[in-house]
Amino acid sequence: METNTADGESILLVDDNPTNLQVLYQTLEGVGCKLLIAKGGELALSIAAKALPNLILLDIMMPGIDGYEVCQRLKSDPTTANIPVIFLSALGETGDKVKGLQMGAVDYITKPFQPDEVIARVNTHLTIHRLKQEVERRKDELEHELEVVSVVQRRLLPKQLPTIDGYRLAVRYDTSRYAGGDYYDIIGLENNCWGFLMADAEGHSTPAAVLMAMTCALFRAYPGVASDPAQVLHYLNEHLCKVADPSFITALYAVYDAGRQTVRVARAGHPLPMIYRAAEKKAEELSCPGVFPLGIEAYEEPIPVAETKLQPGDRMLIYTDGLTERFNEPGEAYGEQRLLQQLGTEAGDDPQKVLAAIIEDVQRFAGQHPADDDQALLLGIVSK
Amino acid sequence: MKITRKEENGIVAVAFSGRLDADSSPVADKAVKEILDGQTDRLLFDLGELEYLSSAGLRVLLSAAKEMKRRGGKIVLCSLNEFVKEIFEVSGFQSLIPITDSVESGQQMLA
Repeated sequence: METNTADGESILLVDDNPTNLQVLYQTLEGVGCKLLIAKGGELALSIAAKALPNLILLDIMMPGIDGYEVCQRLKSDPTTANIPVIFLSALGETGDKVKGLQMGAVDYITKPFQPDEVIARVNTHLTIHRLKQEVERRKDELEHELEVVSVVQRRLLPKQLPTIDGYRLAVRYDTSRYAGGDYYDIIGLENNCWGFLMADAEGHSTPAAVLMAMTCALFRAYPGVASDPAQVLHYLNEHLCKVADPSFITALYAVYDAGRQTVRVARAGHPLPMIYRAAEKKAEELSCPGVFPLGIEAYEEPIPVAETKLQPGDRMLIYTDGLTERFNEPGEAYGEQRLLQQLGTEAGDDPQKVLAAIIEDVQRFAGQHPADDDQALLLGIVSK
Repeated sequence: MKITRKEENGIVAVAFSGRLDADSSPVADKAVKEILDGQTDRLLFDLGELEYLSSAGLRVLLSAAKEMKRRGGKIVLCSLNEFVKEIFEVSGFQSLIPITDSVESGQQMLA
């Protein structure tokens, strides 16, 4: 990358006085840019639009349209708005300088000028302009890369939800930026059992997305049938410990037995599952002592597994903390209590509707405050 | 977020106040790394004024704990408020980094 080259760069000099133009031209001949000249405002605008110079030196007092108007029109046209403008004028009053700068000029030089000062200021603004363009270019590149990561990442998620006997599912997955660290997966196991994985790689954007993809690849390559929640977490941890440092991944793995309507859960640093009991019309967190997140170090103690039985109409929500840690303007978090209340919402037995009601409530709570974390929710309802 | 640091009787005490989240964790991470560049093997984090801790913040504390373990040193977190304590419990981090109720008991644990 060469950022300092003046190749192909040009400066447009605008003044109605031919002598001034000549002096300016001679002053700037040595800066290594092509010099364009315009003797009036209209001509300046048409040259600027065609040549897109890297800098414009603009006289203020000119017959016809004056420098202020030229500047205004340059700034209101998106193609020329980013070209830096330096006003050059005999007007030395502070008010004129302020007016010029407020119109979007980057600098103001008072005539009669010192050639060295003009050269120094021109070089400074050319450098700033180059760096600005470079930053813009890098930003575009980065955004493009993140978009690609995001597309690939979404392909890692289940394409559609499976049909499970007597258990209806709905899912929601949002990333706060292009790519994220949240991951969920659902796999069919033996004997009408299903495995639900919910994971959250610490951080956002590309680093988190890489760990998310690793977790996905590892889970899909699980040797044997992933029907023991503790063993699944042990397995993921063993492999993620080799790559995650200094980051980590929280995860929850639940095995749902569709025949017996029981669920067995193990978790590593992940929020507890929430269960709404239809008979009691009450939601609570499933008590499930867990271990620390995946990717830090080996678990020396056995990973606890909690088990519970679900009844018709019961709802189970597993989610990532981007939901409960969604903030509003005053800085309050959405929180587990409000989520528990919403899980019991009177939205019927359609998991899509219940999930939509939850999301709507979170939006209502957060208002205009943007999400700064990724969020994923997987909701299941036992059919009546 | 504000970070203050003092050294007393061979213990480096670092107090965090405000929010340790995705926005502030790069600054906190840098500050903690600078402290760990020294020979410190007794580290006390005073979280009494810490209002909020996100997973990015947990990573900063975890990196410090891992480094202290590597050099055979000791680390302790003190005076966590209810919210921060709950995060430690739910996330299982209390089994990775020792926690205590007060700075005084933390100093005793490091003595």
